[in-house]
Amino acid sequence: MTAPLLEARGLTRRYRLPRNALLRAAPVLTAVDNTSFTIRAGETLGIVGESGSGKSTLARMVMAFEAPDEGEVLFNGQNLHTLPAPELRKLRQQFQMVFQDPYGSLNPRRAVGWSIAEPLRAIGVDGTTERRTNEALEQVGLHARDAGKYPHEFSGGQRQRIAIARAVVTRPALLVADEAVSALDVSVQAQILNLLMDLQDELGLGILFISHDLAVVGSICDHILVMQHGKALETGPAAQVLRAPTHPYTATLVKAAGISR
Amino acid sequence: MLQLIDFSVSFGNATALRHTSLMIHAGDRLGIVGESGSGKTMLALSLMGMAPDAARLGGMLRMDGRDMTHATEVEWQAIRARRVAMVFQEPMAALNPLRRAGDTVMEPMMVHEGLSRDQARTRALSLFEEVGIPDPAARMRQFPHELSGGQRQRVLIALALACNPALLIADEPTTALDANVALKITDLLVRLSRERDMALVFITLDLAAVARATEHIVVMYGSDMVEQGLTADVLAAPIHPYTKGLLAARPDPTRGLRDANGKRRRLPTIAGTVPQLFALPHGCRFSGRCPVEVSRCTTFKPALKPVGANRHAACHLHTGEDA
Repeated sequence: MTAPLLEARGLTRRYRLPRNALLRAAPVLTAVDNTSFTIRAGETLGIVGESGSGKSTLARMVMAFEAPDEGEVLFNGQNLHTLPAPELRKLRQQFQMVFQDPYGSLNPRRAVGWSIAEPLRAIGVDGTTERRTNEALEQVGLHARDAGKYPHEFSGGQRQRIAIARAVVTRPALLVADEAVSALDVSVQAQILNLLMDLQDELGLGILFISHDLAVVGSICDHILVMQHGKALETGPAAQVLRAPTHPYTATLVKAAGISR
Repeated sequence: MLQLIDFSVSFGNATALRHTSLMIHAGDRLGIVGESGSGKTMLALSLMGMAPDAARLGGMLRMDGRDMTHATEVEWQAIRARRVAMVFQEPMAALNPLRRAGDTVMEPMMVHEGLSRDQARTRALSLFEEVGIPDPAARMRQFPHELSGGQRQRVLIALALACNPALLIADEPTTALDANVALKITDLLVRLSRERDMALVFITLDLAAVARATEHIVVMYGSDMVEQGLTADVLAAPIHPYTKGLLAARPDPTRGLRDANGKRRRLPTIAGTVPQLFALPHGCRFSGRCPVEVSRCTTFKPALKPVGANRHAACHLHTGEDA
């Protein structure tokens, strides 16, 4: 068995809430509570849970957008939260993120080619920017000529393809997708999920796939982690979790998703 | 109580809804299914007399036997809330963040029916109870941000019920909710429709919710109705290729993640994208994406025609000769 691409160990993140009364201590919300998981190259881990369960906080810690209060994130054995900033910056090209709302995450005043090349500029790639942008566009099923168009000229599904192109342009090893298909129509959603699987086969990507939709997660993920109130309730191979959930909360999710055999 | 005859909505040269005919009786539960740009929201807004001013309406919209197609805003105001009311998708956006939940629900009673504050409060309390909000008296004093997503949606439903409407239109009432909460809200709408003999128009892209909540279904695509029938029949044996594709594209984890060679299974898809309203294909709206289209599909638009009992579809392959 290969070493894990990503390893999260005992991640905990607390937020201080606004105080209720002047002289009382501010209440603390534990958004993520002692959560661990691993992702190997070519593997997809699905994280399911209702809104407020801590899924997105987890994603932000994996992306090193924020630091955990306890625990660590190891990417290829390197601790993301103790790495010096310049090295982290260089390492970032290896893990990229796709957000839920492709319209909100693309600059409406810039041609999409500019947006796709943004991560390349951030890590200081020069000379090959245009070639790699075009390559990324074709990888996601668009055309090199689309680079000159603006976000409003594309449909929702195409915009999500553009967001994915921006994520894969740095040739990452890990993709973090936070509700990446939730805003899409059913028929388009299936296309984007297939695209993620195509890219995974092609690039050997590890994927952290976050969604509230158990049916979607169950259709593309090798492993599932179920979260509620910041805690990991259950984890295991997708088929097993769906067939024989051990936690009652997972069972209600399975039922609500209408998954039956 | 509500009848659409050859009803259409257009903006300039873009058609948002074409030649739609529908009949809704008291207590009916109708599901309208379609993706973005299918015309389903425009249909819902039209039923409330809330189509944008720029819209050109054609055909006829009858409410309680009265032609409301070109009714004025004042005429609609007499009907809204009391005959027809709406539940929106985003409860946080639909509720005034600066008003207590109880005041929001009481307002239409005082405005439309001239109830006193005390009378309105009594009715609001019983409504909160009816929609399953625990500890209603305390919830009425709370602001939207203090309520959970599911409770906000319940408040919004109570608001829609404030003046006892005969028809409730729910536009994607569960889309923003978590799966298990969505299930409860769906069941609540069904129960209210049954207990009050209130017609329910349930607009969604969630096929599982439609199956659970409705008796009849209309499938919309590219501003047209493409299939219509009993919900159970349509979902069990779809006729139109779009309905078939939509059902197949739902992720189904029971298929197994990998095939015999260990390769990840791809999901069935509908090729292409939903067409823009100003660039709809000639002929059948689904042409260009349809897996079984024949040459006439690109030139002649199929009409919605009967196929079997209580069932209509707009597809050349099923309705025979038509131009």
